[in-house]
Amino acid sequence: MKISLKWLSDYIDVPVDVKALCDRLDLTGTGVEGVETLGGAFDGVVVGYVEECEVHPDSDHMHVVKVNVGAEEPVQIVCGAPNIAAGIKLPVATIGAVLPGDFKIKKSKLRGVTSCGMCCSQRELGMGNNHDGIWILPDDAPVGMPIAEYLKMTDTVLDLEITPNRPDCLSVTGFAREVGAMYQLDWNNPLEAMAAKMELDENAAPVDSEVSVTIDDAKRCPRYTARIIRDCKIGPSPDWLVERLTAIGQRPINNIVDVTNYILFLFGQPLHAFDLDKLKNAEGKANVVVRAAYEGEKLVTLDGEERALTPDMTVIATPELGAVALAGVMGGLDTEVTDATTSILLEAATFEAGRTSRTSRNLGLISESSMRYERGVDDHGIELRSAAAAALMVEVAGGTVSYAEVNAEGIVDEWPVVSEPRSLSFRIDRFCAMMGADIPSDYITDVLVRLGCQVSAGEGDNVLSIVAPTFRPDLEREIDLYEEVLRLWGMDRIPSTLPGGRMRVGARSTEELVADKINATLRACGLNETMTYSFAEPSDIERLRMNVEGLAVELMNPLNADQSVMRQSIIPGLLRSVAYNQARGVRNVQLYEIGMVFSTAEGRKKPKERRKVAGVMAGAMNGAAWNQASVPFDFFDGKGVLESLARELALPKVRFKALSADEAPHLQPGRAAEMLAGGTVIGWVGEVHPLAADAFEASAPVVAFELDVAALVKSAQASRPYVDVPTFPAVSVDAAFVVSEDVTHEKMLQCMKSAGGKLLEDVQLFDVYRDEARVGAGKKSMAYALTYRAPDRTLTSEEVEKAHARLVQKVSAATGAELR
Amino acid sequence: MAITEELLGLREQTLAAIEAAETSAALEQVRVAVLGKAGSLTGYLRSMGQIPKEERAEVGKAVNEARVAVEEALAARKAVLDAAELEAAIDAAAVDVTLPGRAQQMGTRHLINRMIDEISEIFLGLGYTVATGPEVETDYYNFTALNAPADHPSRSMQDTFYVHDLSGDSSRVRGESDVLLRTQTSGVQVHVMEDQDLPIYIISPGKVYRRDVADPTHLPQFHQVEGLVIDEGITFGDLKGTLDYVCKQIFGPDRKTRFRAHFFPFTEPSAEADVSCGVCGGEGCRVCKGTGWIEILGCGMVDPNVLAMSGIDPEKYSGFAFGFGVERVACLKYNVPDLRMLLEGDMRFLRQF
Repeated sequence: MKISLKWLSDYIDVPVDVKALCDRLDLTGTGVEGVETLGGAFDGVVVGYVEECEVHPDSDHMHVVKVNVGAEEPVQIVCGAPNIAAGIKLPVATIGAVLPGDFKIKKSKLRGVTSCGMCCSQRELGMGNNHDGIWILPDDAPVGMPIAEYLKMTDTVLDLEITPNRPDCLSVTGFAREVGAMYQLDWNNPLEAMAAKMELDENAAPVDSEVSVTIDDAKRCPRYTARIIRDCKIGPSPDWLVERLTAIGQRPINNIVDVTNYILFLFGQPLHAFDLDKLKNAEGKANVVVRAAYEGEKLVTLDGEERALTPDMTVIATPELGAVALAGVMGGLDTEVTDATTSILLEAATFEAGRTSRTSRNLGLISESSMRYERGVDDHGIELRSAAAAALMVEVAGGTVSYAEVNAEGIVDEWPVVSEPRSLSFRIDRFCAMMGADIPSDYITDVLVRLGCQVSAGEGDNVLSIVAPTFRPDLEREIDLYEEVLRLWGMDRIPSTLPGGRMRVGARSTEELVADKINATLRACGLNETMTYSFAEPSDIERLRMNVEGLAVELMNPLNADQSVMRQSIIPGLLRSVAYNQARGVRNVQLYEIGMVFSTAEGRKKPKERRKVAGVMAGAMNGAAWNQASVPFDFFDGKGVLESLARELALPKVRFKALSADEAPHLQPGRAAEMLAGGTVIGWVGEVHPLAADAFEASAPVVAFELDVAALVKSAQASRPYVDVPTFPAVSVDAAFVVSEDVTHEKMLQCMKSAGGKLLEDVQLFDVYRDEARVGAGKKSMAYALTYRAPDRTLTSEEVEKAHARLVQKVSAATGAELR
Repeated sequence: MAITEELLGLREQTLAAIEAAETSAALEQVRVAVLGKAGSLTGYLRSMGQIPKEERAEVGKAVNEARVAVEEALAARKAVLDAAELEAAIDAAAVDVTLPGRAQQMGTRHLINRMIDEISEIFLGLGYTVATGPEVETDYYNFTALNAPADHPSRSMQDTFYVHDLSGDSSRVRGESDVLLRTQTSGVQVHVMEDQDLPIYIISPGKVYRRDVADPTHLPQFHQVEGLVIDEGITFGDLKGTLDYVCKQIFGPDRKTRFRAHFFPFTEPSAEADVSCGVCGGEGCRVCKGTGWIEILGCGMVDPNVLAMSGIDPEKYSGFAFGFGVERVACLKYNVPDLRMLLEGDMRFLRQF
């Protein structure tokens, strides 16, 4: 909201230091978003003092004067005005000043005498018609002061952020009250004096004979008043009114509408002026109804837009015309005040806050009215604010205000819901304890009174009894009063402390600790953590060719179609990042992300959220270096990461099971595996199917994995059991088995482990070799290093030979292997 | 006495040969030639039996002396040659130490999680527990239990992502489901208040969603760290002291904080906290828009309604809450020019942190 300090200063002494004022506003809860200085048009025009005045040597009517303009040296000016004289003060336009009409003041010579400026008349400054001579200013005008400042033409306009709990601050007078409380200054409320100026015309027809008001639903409209102003003449507003409104960025329209706006900004009371004659029916009566809009009802608002209304919205209507205004938001075009209008029906009302807010949001129509109604307009005092408006209308547009038969206010007044002022206690000791500071009770009382509360001694020691004003609907509870006092006392004055509570330890959950280990391991494996969107394209999963459980979670209001569902896998996002890097020439990409995936099902309210850890590896871990080859990533790099993870998390009984094309269509068949720990499925690893990679514009091969964090957390063991460090020597024996291609390493391992007995300590595969000539077609040679050891003695060579022979025999029998 | 003379000659000859040996291998040859199985001196030792008895003692003594002298000379020469050879080997093995090392490439932590780690660590040190919760919430946990009015603009479809509710429940607000992507992690706090014993000292870091189009300064998904303290005797001074400490830990000990009164439905009294601008040191510059301050977080004393809704007696307990945007803090610390970089996965960006 914009506040003109000049306007504000009509009601309170505004602190001179604007910067300090803005800082104080910021700290007390009114954010200052901008400061604008008006009156710059008279830059360079200052108050001058004529020190010397001599006749021009070459002219009979001009004078040469030396004028002190507040600079070190007086300036010499040639002046033709008859009333120029030494010892007077006058406005001087110095060199560089621009006067109305784009008249630029330059150094010049008049009949051979240099003139460095101009002594100004009122008309030359555009401030009146007096051109008889220069404008002689009072003797106390300070020399050198900018004329705009001297004449109080300068204005500073603050753009303020009023928080939604402070409807009272959305007006000049409300803001004056706030500034008064901030600085403990008195202010002058003009409302009663302005209202008292209104005179009711006892001769015209009473308002209640021509206007009736019916409120259908009191909740929607707690109070509605209507008043008639007759015989006005619509025209432009006087200068002072135009100046007030333009200063705060409002466009003047006509005298009647301008008055409604003026009152809105002055008192925070939105008003609407209808053309009374347009509201009247054939019997000459305006029957105003405040009701819910009908489904499908339409209204052309003042801005010329046709609005489709819903029953959630409230309208002002007449039985004959239907909706004529959107309550609290905007008037209708058909009943607006025009140049031809002579009689006004002035609406001053209050409407339901939440509904106004919804209406204006749903229509994308935010007006000065709706902004105030959605925060709450006080139902008390509406008659006074309406009277002040009526008096001002008569002042600027002529006419008379009709009286009413039923009340002395001259209004039709429907007031079905009267708000009650709230009575609250203020326990000073509790307040000080909660703030952690001793704030004097005198201060508390003073500041609450200045905010409009009634304060008296309450029951008990150090307890105040407070009645909160109805214009502060936010003051509902004791705590709300605490906030008022604290913010005005100054949060900066509260000493900083740390809580000293008992029974407190800092901790992280098991899941977070496991997640930390996962993060640390993946980084140690060379993967870089990233983040991608939780949003996904609906086609992502299909393009990835992935089998997923459940339905995608659809957003009701996505930002765009590409992000209209929640992701069911992290992989599409990571593939996009692979493509992003590859498109920019970054070939080696190692990324991982830990994050949520989402799915739902018919009948579910909240979707299932599962935390996943996913990774992608494309290119190689590093480029070729002088001492290191660049080895392209393949399936086993991904699997190696998972093996490291299994080790770090101490996962028990980890195995990898080949996944078929049906089970994992998103992975390249033959290079896809499922990771299990005991019976728990942890996730999958594999090379992304070339078609799936291509669908996300990533160049294959891309090694990827996606694991379930909950499964990892469930399977992870805090530690492994201790095993004695061997003290007796081991014997290592190599054996190369030739087996057919379908015999897996896992199968070999199982056979060896079961055949090796207690003495077989370790099995390491060190070579896989294929050669049709030497090994045979469809066969491979698998070379293992077998370690034999007994924990309690040194093995003899006979023992080892016997155990090894048994192992070879059993493996051969079980797998058809031949020893090479 | 020809044998002793022979021996003397052999001894002198051998010592000279040892002295002349330039390599360990040459030295070894000398040793083998003299002391080996077929060595010349060994030959004398073996043939001692053929020496006449009366000469045996004298010859034996001479042979032994010769052997000792040769062995000592061999050892001495070996030490010299070994040292020289080691030195030569070391010289030969010298490398250009400016050549790149053979490092295993380590991965990097994402900037945002790095910030969250840093912030969590500060609060763990203050005795806070780290709590997490779901990203999809009902409007009760995201708004209602946090005292947000039913018509609060933040609840609108303009600002909050809603998801389809497949349970068949009709939503209370026309056209809106009551299942949504959380706009703040405050819902976690409500769960904690409902489920945990007092006192409560928690922070809840996590991802949140708001309906802002992605641009250099906005993302529809970002991260917050919110905190909640509920205990007996918690004061506004405690709120100030805690956040002042945390800001100094994050931004540096020279930075100042200030608290501006503000309004949030969840807290009463409410404030926004600023830290002094790190670019100009509080003088006012382009970064802080001339104010000398940079807004960093929202905070306040927990509204008694919020406590009461979660079954906590506001007369007995008080507390404070705060929340800040991690992306904002990260950008202030690292001058990231465009928030969208955080979601692109550009290796050249990620590997900077």
